[in-house]
Amino acid sequence: MGRYMIRRTLFLILVLFVISVLTFLIFVKLPPGDPARRFAGRRATVQQIENVREQLGLNDSVFVQYGRLAKGLIPLPGYFLTEEAYYSFVNFVPVKEEIYRRLPVTITLALGGAIVWLLIGIPVGIVSAIRPRSAVDRAGMFFALFGVSAPVFWLGFVFLYIFWFRLGIAPGSGLSPDENLMEGILRGRFLMPWIVISLSFAAFYARMVRGNLIETMSEDYIRTARAKGLSERRVIVRHGLRSALTPVVTMFGMDMGILLGGAIITETVFNLPGIGQYAIRSLVTNDIPAVMGVTMLAAFFIVVGNLVVDVVYAFLDPRVRYT
Amino acid sequence: MRKHLKLIALAGVIALAAAACGGGETGDTDDGDQADGVQKGGTLRLNLLSDVISAFDPQKEYYSVTWEFYRCCLLRTLMSYNGMSTEEGGTELRPDLATALPEVSDDGLTWTFSIREGVMYAPPFEDTEIVAQDFVRALERTADPDAGAGGYGFYYSVIDGLDDFGAGEADSISGLNAVDDHTLEVTLNRPAGDFGFRMAMHATAPIPDGAADGHVQDYGRFLVASGPYMFEGSENMDFSAPPGDQEPVSGYVPGQSITMVRNPSWSNDIDDLRPANVDRIEITIGGTEDDNALKVDSGELDMQFDGVAPPDQVQKYQTDPQLEDQLFVNPSDAIRYLTINLAMPPFDDIHVRKAINLALDKDSMRRIRGGPTQGELAGHIMVNSLQNNLLADYDPYETPNGQGDIEAAQAEMAQSVYDTDGDGVCDDPVCQNIPTNTDEADPYPDQAALIQQNFEPLGLTLDIRQFERGTMYDRVNDPNTQTALGLAPGWGKDYLNGSTFGEPLFGSVSIGPDACCNYSLVGASAEQLADFGYDATEVPSVDDKIAECDETTGDAQFQCWAELDQELMENVVPWVPYLFDNYVRTVSERVENYTFDQFAGLPALDHIALAGGGAEG
Repeated sequence: MGRYMIRRTLFLILVLFVISVLTFLIFVKLPPGDPARRFAGRRATVQQIENVREQLGLNDSVFVQYGRLAKGLIPLPGYFLTEEAYYSFVNFVPVKEEIYRRLPVTITLALGGAIVWLLIGIPVGIVSAIRPRSAVDRAGMFFALFGVSAPVFWLGFVFLYIFWFRLGIAPGSGLSPDENLMEGILRGRFLMPWIVISLSFAAFYARMVRGNLIETMSEDYIRTARAKGLSERRVIVRHGLRSALTPVVTMFGMDMGILLGGAIITETVFNLPGIGQYAIRSLVTNDIPAVMGVTMLAAFFIVVGNLVVDVVYAFLDPRVRYT
Repeated sequence: MRKHLKLIALAGVIALAAAACGGGETGDTDDGDQADGVQKGGTLRLNLLSDVISAFDPQKEYYSVTWEFYRCCLLRTLMSYNGMSTEEGGTELRPDLATALPEVSDDGLTWTFSIREGVMYAPPFEDTEIVAQDFVRALERTADPDAGAGGYGFYYSVIDGLDDFGAGEADSISGLNAVDDHTLEVTLNRPAGDFGFRMAMHATAPIPDGAADGHVQDYGRFLVASGPYMFEGSENMDFSAPPGDQEPVSGYVPGQSITMVRNPSWSNDIDDLRPANVDRIEITIGGTEDDNALKVDSGELDMQFDGVAPPDQVQKYQTDPQLEDQLFVNPSDAIRYLTINLAMPPFDDIHVRKAINLALDKDSMRRIRGGPTQGELAGHIMVNSLQNNLLADYDPYETPNGQGDIEAAQAEMAQSVYDTDGDGVCDDPVCQNIPTNTDEADPYPDQAALIQQNFEPLGLTLDIRQFERGTMYDRVNDPNTQTALGLAPGWGKDYLNGSTFGEPLFGSVSIGPDACCNYSLVGASAEQLADFGYDATEVPSVDDKIAECDETTGDAQFQCWAELDQELMENVVPWVPYLFDNYVRTVSERVENYTFDQFAGLPALDHIALAGGGAEG
């Protein structure tokens, strides 16, 4: 396992390096337009534009520019998202400050949503699996179909319109200027975002658990367990679920990694000041340092999520051994 | 017993009498103060779809939304406005931190401002008086190429020595002289009749000594206020700490929220321009227009400040008698137009340019954008506030109901060299596939289709290419692209003077890919035209008239800019103007005393009051 971890960590670094190069090329070097011109203002003189270009380091070679941004990705004090390179072109706020401030919002959204979709998806999948083709199963799969079909942005607006605007039983979007994150949670501002973000995942997980559990319950060792006189509940929970949920763990790790990089649509619809909202703003305004920072953060969460999942898998499934 | 009953009854009568008489004029001791029939107090709740563009740095913010926040609330300047519409005197320059309008020397080169005494900054500089040197400091920061990047420092190049200071060739700006604490003398390198307007812009707002030190890029997050409001938490800023260790003000969270509270150093006694009715202004940033419209409907939000009110909400408010008082429509001082390249055939012929002015169905162009609430049909170039409404009824190419007049257009075309048989239809190949660009976003493609339809009877066909907005502007601005028509540009004033239209749009210095924004090439020299690859060797110029108007002062400026407008429309014809944009806004039912600040083209937040002083029902 130790050697496996070392190998995977090195691979993680390689993946992040490739992503950083691609991100740099796609967002920094390839797009048309001159960020210095935009930064300097619409009526800047040639000299002013040149001053800005010098100030932003845009006259440096591609390798120097990349090196400056890459240095800021080293996760060590004094290097990580250094203000020298990661300073917003748009609002002159350090990228690190924005990310640190917004990350708790995104983590709250992702974790809460994850809890909700696990609490919904897994039970629905289990019940559907143990009562296949029953009314409960059909209802569960209808829910699954709805959940994966309904776009998040549509769901979000419908929820806001019905539960906030019409019924007045849920708070509106966004955080009030006078409330912090905890106060926002306690006032229920994340309830609808959690439900909205979780529905599509819950639907997918329900289908996955149902399919895996049905397949597992037809295995020989399940028949043996029943023959030994174990209760059906024990057979399902102790023997069936353990195998059926293993792929769920894999998916969960990847889904969490993706969400931690920013649930863009949900954050936009519900005006939650998280990483996703920051990513959209950075892209629209061509704020290169912010784009680099957010992209690399998202990539980091995904690759680390993958690594964690693979390690956990080995503990869940004794047949899996890493060398 | 009877005696006790009488005493109790008497006590009850006294209590009733006290209740009836107590509470003052409002009848409720908890209500806010009243001034001019308007209730003071409460929290105004706004939303911005997008954050301000440069984190409130006054030397960098080139954005009308921020300018309104400065004018209404955060920053006072030597000169300013009353935050009202053109009809209510909103275009008149008024003294703010100055005691009176400036004294101008006979040659127009020396402007002397006398500064109010005893006006203090907001916390944490509440013990610091605003003095002349503070304005010098602001202008030095404006001249600094790092601190002023992205701003409008070019407006102050007219100050003697400012550019030398900015280039590092001088230790101070020679044209700025703080004669004493309350007298500022400014020497210009050429006469500029609009200089008073430039001193009303917030890049000139005073900065106390030490506040901006070490904050070349982020002073906005450490902004020291001088207006009726300040950022919440300003009193906690510690400028004694090294700049890198200072904590930015808590009332502005970039990308998330803005909270402004009353500046304890300010009062109505020292400010004639701002009533400052509400106690607090809370602004959330982000969200969507539709969601914010629902918030306004429900009263959770008082107003969405930027962006566009959704058309269905506007229609609902227009048609509901209970809501129509919550809908406000004002001219935003922006114009939409088609820009014509004077050097490109067939538009090098003035008759063709006049013909398309007559052919365009401006009413339908407006309908595509949402109908009459979107603005007034434009018959000339400069927005009316810049000429104090002198040309409000002027339209040399007026057509019935603004729907175009193809017969009149063809009559004009018949006079063109490109219509050899005089039938009103161009018969020269240059009229086919005319290079044209437009914006790819709605509603411009629909408008482009209409324009093509309108011009076809004149024998003009357009080769229309759609671009992302920024690219569209870059291309129409670059003469090398040889774009004959631009269908999607717009322009708004920077301040209430025609100089913000004149030179930038029609001055020869504003031509070229590294300049901005004379798309029509008015005034281009023969050399420039050759460099850009045009066969034309001459185009009309209005440089002399622009220079004349730039130097004119007082009310005569309005007349001069009106004359330039007429010259352009009748003898140059560089545009087809079609719409003076409106600012359409819906507000919650508790908003009172809504006024429109003609300077920023936005609601005047210092005038707005809340019903009942903002007390929740």
